[in-house]
Amino acid sequence: MILDTLGVGLLGTSTEVFHKVTQYSKIYSSDLSSTIWGHLDFRLPPLYAAFVNGVAVHSMDFDDTWHPATHPSGAVLPALIALSEAFPQKKNISGLDLLLAFNVGIEVQGRLLHFSREARNIPRRFHPPAVVGTMGSAAACAKLLALDQLECKNALAIAASYAGAPLANAATQIKPLHIGNAAKNGLEAACLALQGLQGNKQILDMESGMGAFYTDYNPQTLPTLQSYPWLLDQQDVAIKRFPAHLATHWVADAASSVRRKLVESSESLLPIDKIEKVILKVPEVKYVNRPSPASEHEARHSFQFVACSALLDGSMSVQSFSSENIQRPALRELLCKTQLEHPPDNTPSFDSLYCQVSVTLRGGSTISDRCTTFYGHWRKPLEKEDLEKKFQSNVLNILPTEAMEGIIETVYNLEKVEDCSVLSTFLSGQSARALPEKLRFL
Amino acid sequence: MSPTVRQRSKRMILDSIGVGLVGSTTPVFDIALRYCRLYSSVAVSSVYGKPGVKLSPTLAAFTNGVATHSMDFDDTWHPATHPSGAILPALLAASQMLPPNTKPNGLDFLLAFNVGLEVQGRLMHFSTEAHDIPKRFHPPSVVGTLGSAAATAKLLSLSSAQCCHALGIAASLAGAPMANAATQAKPLHVGNATRLGLEAALLAGRGMEANPLILDDIPGCSGFSAFYSVYQPKPLSAPGEHHEFLLEKQDIAFKRFPAHLGMHWVVDAALSVRNLFINYAGSFSPSLIRTIMLKIPVSKYINRPFPSSEHQARHSFQFNACAALLDGEVGLGSFSESSIHRQELRELLDKVVVEHPEDNVANFDKMYGEVALLLHTGDVLTGKCDTFYGHWRKPLSKESLLKKFRSNASHVLPEEKIEAIITLVDNLENLSDSSQLACSL
Repeated sequence: MILDTLGVGLLGTSTEVFHKVTQYSKIYSSDLSSTIWGHLDFRLPPLYAAFVNGVAVHSMDFDDTWHPATHPSGAVLPALIALSEAFPQKKNISGLDLLLAFNVGIEVQGRLLHFSREARNIPRRFHPPAVVGTMGSAAACAKLLALDQLECKNALAIAASYAGAPLANAATQIKPLHIGNAAKNGLEAACLALQGLQGNKQILDMESGMGAFYTDYNPQTLPTLQSYPWLLDQQDVAIKRFPAHLATHWVADAASSVRRKLVESSESLLPIDKIEKVILKVPEVKYVNRPSPASEHEARHSFQFVACSALLDGSMSVQSFSSENIQRPALRELLCKTQLEHPPDNTPSFDSLYCQVSVTLRGGSTISDRCTTFYGHWRKPLEKEDLEKKFQSNVLNILPTEAMEGIIETVYNLEKVEDCSVLSTFLSGQSARALPEKLRFL
Repeated sequence: MSPTVRQRSKRMILDSIGVGLVGSTTPVFDIALRYCRLYSSVAVSSVYGKPGVKLSPTLAAFTNGVATHSMDFDDTWHPATHPSGAILPALLAASQMLPPNTKPNGLDFLLAFNVGLEVQGRLMHFSTEAHDIPKRFHPPSVVGTLGSAAATAKLLSLSSAQCCHALGIAASLAGAPMANAATQAKPLHVGNATRLGLEAALLAGRGMEANPLILDDIPGCSGFSAFYSVYQPKPLSAPGEHHEFLLEKQDIAFKRFPAHLGMHWVVDAALSVRNLFINYAGSFSPSLIRTIMLKIPVSKYINRPFPSSEHQARHSFQFNACAALLDGEVGLGSFSESSIHRQELRELLDKVVVEHPEDNVANFDKMYGEVALLLHTGDVLTGKCDTFYGHWRKPLSKESLLKKFRSNASHVLPEEKIEAIITLVDNLENLSDSSQLACSL
């Protein structure tokens, strides 16, 4: 077998497909490099910059979520930013180019998700960012690279062969790689298409194409370009207030509200020994049902953990998931008293689910609250100040203030920015004062 | 873009950047980063047929894997997959990556290779659906990725916990849909399987952790079962007890010409009926033929009446039958542009009619190929093939296998190198430094 394989491989080096992939792979011996967010000290080739930055985005489950369910931005943005710095002809990419490519990447994901009814619910088989995220990244990069129509089709076809990761790796350390890989593989697919590699141009139509990832795949023709309605216009994303699975955000709001009814002031401790049981009415989502999480990744995917944390502390934050907080005895004690119930009317869809927290005290009285729309959900979007506060709090110990402010200003004015590489400069921690000539607006 | 879209997408971008920046302080980020920093170091791994070129290990594995499947000329197993291309390139690349005093010997290498095969076979046995010619996911991209992870983990001597994580990580890197078969992208399935399996093992070696139960069937939250509609994992015998490798009971098929395995049955059937026809008519006279009837199993991606590219031609029962009838053999040259578009071939293709008898199951262990020539005179000549030469039931002889190797390798290597490789592989278990194999390519 080994002998045969070697012979076959040697012969195969005379093929066109082999030639294309070597040309592509030789990029890695060149000087091309892109920014690693938060690091001035080193850079990586664009593909790996997209990968690690994508991993960073999903590393704490803190990134945005859309309906139908996926994490759209993390799969697209890291790839675009990495690509913009390493453009084949050293062309300048404007902020408008970046913004448009980004929206193309988001739109493609949304359209694909709409081709399956199963996609409307919280997933059970494949992790959506690994499926549609890869396609979105390929589309966004193809747009930024200004590939022609045929090359774009091939980029999507190639990307399909990189798509897909099973859900069982959610709540483990590997999950962030789903986004990292989506970003990186989409970029790779677009680059291979640019080299002329071809795939099946009907990949979006076929059951054995994108249909492989769904049991009920039903593609539709899209509206004409004349007056194209962007999905993002009709359906906003949800932005998380703390780093955990979206479904836990309903639980957190309901639990915080129950706590306020239980204790007079926010400084008081929760009277745990007076609590007999805590019942959570939640939708049935296996991978977020963890009565006793042991790691930070598991804690971020646990209805029970978030409910108990919010009851104890009043609100959730990045610190709620530190290992000291995960292991504290008070929390463990409360977890033992917590149970889940799955009412049949509680459908596992981010558009319609609710969470109800009921705390029963010794003596029989019960305090409850139900949350149907948490603050940050698309029906109740974060205010501008709160969005900025989240950003600032995240970036505080990683970038200097000028860079932080520089990013905020650049993004708000993105379509007027002449050279979007200023964004990368800030991301690596340099401030505007260091490069005045880059911060030019049209 | 409307003001709403602009505003919303800018909010997403801002949030996304902030989230990414805080995320750069996490352990998972550290591991991913340390892994990627390998790429700023050395290109150490050989590329098939390019003596002056070296690439980083995973990219060398990628390109060599692509090379291996580029012409659909590589081996096929039962249940169906292309097992070797998914593991060998990763092992070769990894062997060159290790420092000189820790190079695995030939026996280690061979054992790792077999571990990779065994894992692929065992996984396929967990699904009855895997026994048939695939319809949804291309098997090398599913089991091949895990096989590569297992083989590399073995070669790199990872601990048993790390091996477990390597498989879990690999599962998140697996899976490519069938629709890219018969296109230029198909070879990437094997290239990526071998590359990503290697990557999974390298990540596991650096401490990355995944779901240790990824191979179990847990309803409501799919692991490896995501790739199958019927998945029934079974416990395996514990290590240490006498273990029989699957390869022992079930051999591999080697291809005699570069096309999908299914083509090999119809070609042998076509060659047999061609002989009958020449005896009947004195020479091969297409004008005497009214209809060419092919009896083949149902499999969409290899049923192509008029293929227009080399990739499609390699996946077309009709094309391969006609090429065999016309030329008396099918080889490398049959799939060139000029050969595919020949007028005489097109005329023959026009006469083809396809039937799917119920007893012709889409399964490499059970299928058959039948070619019948219905002549204008009313006579019918038939050729049937149950087991083509190269199939596991009728394996290629050593001479035939060497002939294939020499013929292939001679396209890019001089004779001495070719013979050196043959000798190295033949004596693999006695090699003290298995990276010699990779260096000899």
